[in-house]
Amino acid sequence: MKRILAMLLALVMVFALVACSGGNNSGGNNSGGSGGGSTTKGEEGSIPGVQKTLTIGIASDINELDPQQQNDQINNNCIALTHQPLVFLTNDTNEQVACLAESWEWTDDTHLIFHLVQNATFNDGSPFTADDVVFTFEKAMDPDQSAVAATLQLVESVNKIDEYTVEFVTKSYSNELLAVLAGYPLVILSKAAYESGMDKPYTVGTGRYKFVEWKEGQYVKFERNENFWGDDPGQADEIIFKPILEAASRVAALQSGDIDVCIDPPINMLEDLQKDENITVETRDGTRLFYMGFNCEKEPFTNQTLRQAVACAIDRDMIIEVVLKGLGKAQTTVVNRGVWSFYDEMEGFDYDVDRAKQLLSEAGYSEGELAVTLYVSNAAPYTTIAPIIKQNVEAIGITVNIEQFDEATLKDKCQSGEQQMFLWRWNVIDRLDEIYTELFSTDYATNYHQYSDPYVDEMAVKVLTEKDKETRLQLSQDLQTYLVEACPQVPLYVADLVIAYNKNLQDTYLFGGGNHNWSWAYVSLN
Amino acid sequence: MIRYVLKRLLFMIPTILLTSLIIFFAMKIAGGDPVKQILPENATVEQQENLREEMGLNDPLVVQYARYMAGLITGDMGESYVTGKDVLQTFMERLPMTLALGGSALIVACIISVPLGIYTALNQNTWKDTTGMVFALFGVSMPNFWLGLMLMLLFAVKWKLLPSQGAEGPEYLVLPALTVGLGLAALITRTTRSAMLDVIRQDYMTTAKAKGASHRRVIYYHGLKNAMIPIVTAIGMQFSLVMTGSALAEVVFSWPGIGRLVFESIDKRDEPMVTGAIILCCILMSIINLVVDLIYAFLDPRIKAQYSNKG
Repeated sequence: MKRILAMLLALVMVFALVACSGGNNSGGNNSGGSGGGSTTKGEEGSIPGVQKTLTIGIASDINELDPQQQNDQINNNCIALTHQPLVFLTNDTNEQVACLAESWEWTDDTHLIFHLVQNATFNDGSPFTADDVVFTFEKAMDPDQSAVAATLQLVESVNKIDEYTVEFVTKSYSNELLAVLAGYPLVILSKAAYESGMDKPYTVGTGRYKFVEWKEGQYVKFERNENFWGDDPGQADEIIFKPILEAASRVAALQSGDIDVCIDPPINMLEDLQKDENITVETRDGTRLFYMGFNCEKEPFTNQTLRQAVACAIDRDMIIEVVLKGLGKAQTTVVNRGVWSFYDEMEGFDYDVDRAKQLLSEAGYSEGELAVTLYVSNAAPYTTIAPIIKQNVEAIGITVNIEQFDEATLKDKCQSGEQQMFLWRWNVIDRLDEIYTELFSTDYATNYHQYSDPYVDEMAVKVLTEKDKETRLQLSQDLQTYLVEACPQVPLYVADLVIAYNKNLQDTYLFGGGNHNWSWAYVSLN
Repeated sequence: MIRYVLKRLLFMIPTILLTSLIIFFAMKIAGGDPVKQILPENATVEQQENLREEMGLNDPLVVQYARYMAGLITGDMGESYVTGKDVLQTFMERLPMTLALGGSALIVACIISVPLGIYTALNQNTWKDTTGMVFALFGVSMPNFWLGLMLMLLFAVKWKLLPSQGAEGPEYLVLPALTVGLGLAALITRTTRSAMLDVIRQDYMTTAKAKGASHRRVIYYHGLKNAMIPIVTAIGMQFSLVMTGSALAEVVFSWPGIGRLVFESIDKRDEPMVTGAIILCCILMSIINLVVDLIYAFLDPRIKAQYSNKG
């Protein structure tokens, strides 16, 4: 018996040591030191008064660090540390400003010229030149090497003019091309790194931090790029992203000091967090629009008046109160709040049960005649929103059956057009084509509404290509008014961005949609 | 004995076959198109069709299952749709973490439950017995994730003695091991108490006492050894459950083990990872059960003789 117990104990200790010793390095260089992803609470780094490590508790797992193989928000948060795009999107004015390109101009409708900065270097010390830009975009446009090739369909070729000048040849002019190029999947990669045959060459970028280590399911660690080419380098010696999937655990980790930033704290714990004198809870306008969509090609919602009736039946204020405890904003238009040309002054279909019943009658249906199905994801907040919508819509005499799916299955079903109504969200920061084209243009893969209208298709192209700003503004607002009336979706709310962090956290650069850039952030010890 | 082990190993084959059959078809019936999951949403129909053909998804389900099982025999369980990594490799990377957590939890459970079970048995029908059994009831009734959060709030947030999250050193193991271990301790305590109550009334215990053996020797040598079969059974059952079922504790403490892997994979509908992980868990449970059965033989010569007779 003793022998068995001794063996069991020894076995467990061996496993514990193996498991905790950091054996399964999933990528990159080993940190070489003890601690791995452990935090250094209060420990001063190489810059006086700055905590050595900034640890960010994230709500989902990182799954890919190759910029062109992904477009997930949390991966982008990591990539923003190590890489830079040609142009940088600001978080206040939503404008593209100089980054690796110091200036640019359209020479005609199909040629966009970029003049590159001449002193930039990659974090392995090699210089940044036009060759890297050409290499990056040729790779990005090849669907065999890139998952984001479709975003560059407009671009025909990228050519080197000289060492620090590149030319984008496009099929036509586009107001949104710069915004596309500001996206993190299209950050500039190092041609030399790929040619060197090194492991994971995509981790080499021109950013303020260098990739160190990724332990899958545990953390991703970056260290400051001491040779950063710009004049505003990172402050913290290390930045660590830790996936903590359980929201209550993430909050506890923040309160215990194990992490410095808690992404997506649960709404029902905000009161406690606000009372904690060591924590700041920041709330700012969000950009993620949650909506209920109709399948406009499937009965009974081919009927526009019926769609309007359902829209009038939904009490959006109640949804915001129940789901977000008021931390969100209702809207009438289909364009995300904060995006240029956002226009919300049209009449729309506010909550009005009497009007809803009248519209139902005008649509040719009597109360109790219809039964429809609402497809929703089995995750929050959809599982909370769906019963409220069911109750609202049943109040005007339409029976609603809720069917839940995991998100991947739901997307598949919506693409196939199986749904009658569905709940979904769309996060747009600055690109109108991500709304007009991707959500409402005929046959576009993400047009889950199955909406098809030649007028909308034509207007989407006009908004994309019109050069006169005033005319473009008018076109965009007209299109919003038209789409609200057509009612392929009922915009429910834009949730505010809520984030909790150590009260000493400085220099954050947050985006309402969650694509934060932590390159400058640090915890002050002063 | 060796023949018995071989026979048990052979019996694992139908178990694995049945499990793989159920999980494989359940995942297929659940719906969803893997191709759309792998490719970006705006991929062309042609790209989708090419990938579908390449992955063999146009073949009948039976053919797909046969291909999967052929791969399984050679250790090829496919690649994750989410990370693109080999399923078996990912599972094996996470296994030591789950074994560390499960093993530590079991040690915590044994340290608490076996002495407590003996103590309550020796003090049957007293307040000490009742207190011990209330503890056991509390342990069984308490949800794992709730206990975990409570321990985290006390030890990490309030007293700042232990880290709340992660797996970067032995100290990170303490709270998850306590969480899982306290839940396990309850059942083992009750089993130990019950087994000891059966044993202490046996004639050989009286004989041992009459021959002048110390109380300690009577209880721990003559008593406990003979009560060990049901206790080991309970421990074995709990161990196999912990190995495959500590998902909640792993999620609460961000412990990167198999439970959390399966939890995340189900959430992302990562079909190869879910199918592979469940089949591998099934194999793992079968092996643990076999090891527990073999431990019986060491504890009880009669069982060993039985194995040998049966060949």
